[in-house]
Amino acid sequence: MPPLPDPIGVFLNIPYDEEFTSLYIAYIVGLCQLGFVPHLASEIPGGDRRLSKIINLIQSCRYSIHDLSRVEMRVAPTAVPRFNMPLELGMTITWQNLHPSHHSWFVWEAEPHRIQISTSDLNGTDANIHNGTPEGVFRELSSAFWRERMPSVPQILTVYGLVESTLDSIFMRNGTRNPYDRSVFMELCRLSSSLTTLFFPPAKPAV
Amino acid sequence: MRKPIHITAPRPTPEEWAKHFPISKTSEKALQVLVDEFKAMHFNREDETVSSIEPEKRRKRASAA
Repeated sequence: MPPLPDPIGVFLNIPYDEEFTSLYIAYIVGLCQLGFVPHLASEIPGGDRRLSKIINLIQSCRYSIHDLSRVEMRVAPTAVPRFNMPLELGMTITWQNLHPSHHSWFVWEAEPHRIQISTSDLNGTDANIHNGTPEGVFRELSSAFWRERMPSVPQILTVYGLVESTLDSIFMRNGTRNPYDRSVFMELCRLSSSLTTLFFPPAKPAV
Repeated sequence: MRKPIHITAPRPTPEEWAKHFPISKTSEKALQVLVDEFKAMHFNREDETVSSIEPEKRRKRASAA
């Protein structure tokens, strides 16, 4: 049997493009607020093949979220479909079939019924529909998972507002404009996690 | 409709979060300033949580003052 995955690790299979930035930040903030540790393929340094990194990450996480909302044709001249997200979802499904107790996966979409067209083999799978908004991401996270004490969607939105507004200063500090760079991802996660105790401060030790 | 998954694993402690997401000391300081400013903006007392800024509580606090 493979080693047990991190019970609060969530692998994020998302498109790395500029238009997706607000949802990317929403996933980070929402997951941290629910007490999860988000993971991205870009966070692992080193010269391994990208695919090997992704397989290792999927295996080390108890959950994964596969956002297929931007599985679409690129604009000309390279008008080819985007296959990365479905490819990683396929690898995850295989892993979960081999070790059902080690992994659970979720498919997320912006519009209902779209996956029935783009990936009809997933018919029968309940996709989480986020409508392309951060609020939708928080709503769907709150319906996919629950804890005894959870922040409300408006509370998570408040934190999202702060994290999103700091992106430029994070870019500047790290000398990049790419939100998916490892250094930017780490800072976004660190800031989001620093704000998790706002709603549920750690219990004070008994006197 | 898929049943929500009940998460019982504890939330990471601040130290565990820091291990998961290592950043430079400079960034750490900059982020801490932001967190402190955010808290100051949303909280009247250091030990309060954001939930305590709900309108009902705010009204009660205002009338008590």
